[in-house]
Amino acid sequence: MQLKRTPILLKANHQETPIAAVDTSTIKIGETSKGIILAIRGATVRKQNRTYHYKRLGPFIFHITEENKKEVYHTLETACFHTQSVSSHQAAPNLMQMPTRLANLLERWLQSVLAKTVTNGLILFDGSLTAGTFDTPVQRLKEILDEARRNGNVVLAFSKMTTLRVNGYLITDLLPEQEPPYLLETAGLQFKPPTVPLGDVYVARLNRASYAFRLDIDREIAHQQKIESIEKLLGNDLCMQSYPETLRLAHILCTFTANEVLAMQHFITRKHGIKMINRPDMHRLLFGPFGKGEGYA
Amino acid sequence: MKLYKKEGNVLHILSFPNENAEKGDYLLVEDQDAGKALIAQVIDVQFACIPGVLEELLRTLPDGGEPIQGEDIDPLEIAPHITYIQDASLLICKIRATLENGLLSPSSSWLPSRSQSTIKKLSIPMLMKLANVNGKLPITLGSTKDASLLTIDASAVDGTLNIITGKKGCGKSHLSKLLMVSLVGYKATVVVFDLNGEYTSLGLTADGKRNIHYDKIHTLTPAQNFKVALEQLHLNVVMGILTHALHLPGTSAREFRRIWKHLKEKGCLTLHELGEAIRNLNCNQHVRDALLSRYHALVNSGFFTDNPAEATLLDECLLKANEQGGAIIINLRNTSTIDRQIVVEYILGKLVDALQSWRLKAVFLFAEEAHLYLRETYWDDIVTRMRHFGIFTTFITNQPDTIRENIYRQADNIFLFNFTNEHDLDVVSRASRIDAETIRSIARDLPPHHCLALGKVVGDFPIVARIRPLDLKTMGETRLFFKNIN
Repeated sequence: MQLKRTPILLKANHQETPIAAVDTSTIKIGETSKGIILAIRGATVRKQNRTYHYKRLGPFIFHITEENKKEVYHTLETACFHTQSVSSHQAAPNLMQMPTRLANLLERWLQSVLAKTVTNGLILFDGSLTAGTFDTPVQRLKEILDEARRNGNVVLAFSKMTTLRVNGYLITDLLPEQEPPYLLETAGLQFKPPTVPLGDVYVARLNRASYAFRLDIDREIAHQQKIESIEKLLGNDLCMQSYPETLRLAHILCTFTANEVLAMQHFITRKHGIKMINRPDMHRLLFGPFGKGEGYA
Repeated sequence: MKLYKKEGNVLHILSFPNENAEKGDYLLVEDQDAGKALIAQVIDVQFACIPGVLEELLRTLPDGGEPIQGEDIDPLEIAPHITYIQDASLLICKIRATLENGLLSPSSSWLPSRSQSTIKKLSIPMLMKLANVNGKLPITLGSTKDASLLTIDASAVDGTLNIITGKKGCGKSHLSKLLMVSLVGYKATVVVFDLNGEYTSLGLTADGKRNIHYDKIHTLTPAQNFKVALEQLHLNVVMGILTHALHLPGTSAREFRRIWKHLKEKGCLTLHELGEAIRNLNCNQHVRDALLSRYHALVNSGFFTDNPAEATLLDECLLKANEQGGAIIINLRNTSTIDRQIVVEYILGKLVDALQSWRLKAVFLFAEEAHLYLRETYWDDIVTRMRHFGIFTTFITNQPDTIRENIYRQADNIFLFNFTNEHDLDVVSRASRIDAETIRSIARDLPPHHCLALGKVVGDFPIVARIRPLDLKTMGETRLFFKNIN
C-alpha cells in the first residue's frame, strides 16, 4: 500500500448541498441468569438551510439468550432488509458480539433509509466502506451505495480510528507540511478476502487542527466528483477538528449516557420484572488492586 | 425514598420526583429489624449526583446554545424513566431524635439498615404528639406545609426568654401580637414596649369594632395618659433613671440622693420643690449644673407630675391585668430617645418592685427593637435576674446583631422569619437550641409570613409554619406614598 505524498488541495464550495449523517450505538445494560440485556439506538442528522435536524430511534432493548439470539437477529434482519444474508445462515453470532451485530443491523438500515430519502446530497457514514464481513455483506453495502448514487448522493465514510499503515506508520500520522484542507490519496490497497473495499481510501485533513481521518469515498464516483463532494462538505458543514459536525452530532445523539443506562435498568426492572445479576469482576476478585477490570489485559 | 449515607447526625436520602419532599419536612427512617426509627428533618434539597447528567444536558445544546431540533422515536417510552432518574434529588437531613418503643431520645448514634429501612414523611401533628407538645393552654400559631395546625402550649413561653426575628416586613410584629393576645386570653399580664404605636389598637377588629380583648388592652402614652408623681417613685428607680438614662455622674448622684431624702422626710417631694432644692444647693457649680440639667430633662419629658391623681393609671392597669389578664401597651411612638429610656427605666423598676412584693405574679414583656431604649446592663439583667422575679421577655427585632450573643445562647424559643443576609444568619445561628446549618438553610428560603419555630415551644423540633391571620387592627403597616395612586 502507498500513500501519495502530493496532497489534493481543497477549496470550500458553498453551493447549497444537503448533508446527512448516521450513527448507531449499543450498550450492555446488564446480565441475567440466562443471557444479557442490551440496548441499541440510532440517530440520523440532516443539515439543510444552515440548521441541523435530527431523528433518533430507540433505545431498543433486547434480552438476548443463547436460545433466542439467532431468532432475534434473523427476525430483525428480515424486518430491515427483507432478506437474510448468506453469512448469517452459517453460524449464530456469539452472545457477546450480539450488541455490535444488532447495532450494525440498525446502522445499515438507517443508511439505506438515508440513501433512499436524501437527493443530491452528501451522506456521511461512521466507519469505512469495507464489506464482506459477517455483519456487512458486500451485497447489502453495495445496494446502499447504488441507491445513494441513483439519488445523486455521494457517500463519505469517516473512520475515527484506522489500522492502515504505510512503512509501519499509521496513514493518519503521515501528514505533509501543507496548509489544510487537503486529501492524501492511497494506492495499491489490498484486503484479504472475503473483505472487499467498496470505497477509495483517502486521508482527510479538513482544517488546521492536527487531526486527520481515514476517509472512504464510494468507488463508483468519478474522481473529480469525489473531490467536489469533499469541497461541498467543507462549504456546507462545520469541520471542527477535521471531523464533520453533522456526523459528530449523530454520534453524540445516539451515544448512551450513564443516566440513560440507569433509566433503562429502572424500566426493565419496573416494567418487565427482569432481575439483573451482578457478576463478580474476576480480575478484581483475584488480583485486588492489581486487577484493573475486565476491559484490561 | 432510599437511605444513601449517614455522616454524624446528617442523613443523605435519595428521593424521586413523585416523592415531593421539601426543606423543613420531617422524615421517619424506620428500621423494623432494629425496632427503632430516626426522626430527621430535611434541611436542604439538592440534585442527586447521577452519572451522565452533564453529558445529557450538554448534548441538548450543541448548536451555539440553541437546542437542536429533532424528533425522538422512543417506542418503549424510556424517556420518562430518564427524566425520573435525572430529576432524582438528594435530601440532606438532620437527625433530630431516635424513636424507640414510642419514646424519643436525642441519640443519633445507631445506623439504620440502608437496604431494609423504610422512609416516609412524618406529619407535624404526629411529630408534636410524639414530642408531647400538647397541653391545656393551646396557642395556634398557624398552619404547616401539610395543612395541619401548629399549636404550641402557652406554658412553653412561661418563664422563658424568646426572640422573634426576621427581616423587615415578614411578619414579626404580627406573630408577637398573636402571642400577646393569646397570653392575655389566658389571663396573663403582658407589658409591651411599643416603639411604633402599632399595638395600641389591638382591642379593635380590623374594621374598627371592639373585639373580645378590648377591655384588656390598656394603652399608656407617656406624658399624656401616663404620668408619674415623684412621691410614688422609689429612690432607686429615680437613681436608675438619672444614672442610666440621663448619665448623671457619681458625685452629682450622691448630692441628688441627699436632696431626695431630705425632701421625702419633709413630705414635700414635688417637681417644684426638687427644682428649688437643686437651685439653692450649696455645692460645686458643676454639680449643681449637672443636677439642674437632669432636672430639666425630667420636667421636659412631661412624664412626671405633682398631681397624684394623674399618676394612678399604671398601678390600676397592673392590678386589673393581674386579676383578669391584660396587656399594658407602653406607646413610645412620639417619645424622644431620652424620654423613652426614662420611661423604660421607670417601668422596669416598677415591675421588679411589684413582682418582688408579689403584687404581680409574673409579667410577659414584649420589647420591640429593644436596643433603642434598653441600656447595656439591662440585657443581662433581663435574661438572668429579672427572669427570677417573673419578667419573661420576648425580644422582637429585625436587626439580630443588636441582640447580644449570650441572649441567643440563653433563648428558650426563637421564632425566625426570613433572612437572606449572611451576617444576620450568622448571628442567629449562635442560638444554642439549634444547629447553624438548619438556620442558614431553612431561614434563607422562608416565604413571607412563614416562621421557623425553634426551642421549647416545638419540643426542640424546628417547624416551619405560616402564621395565621388575626382579626385585629394591627396598625403595623408601613405608610406608603403610592398606595392609592393608580
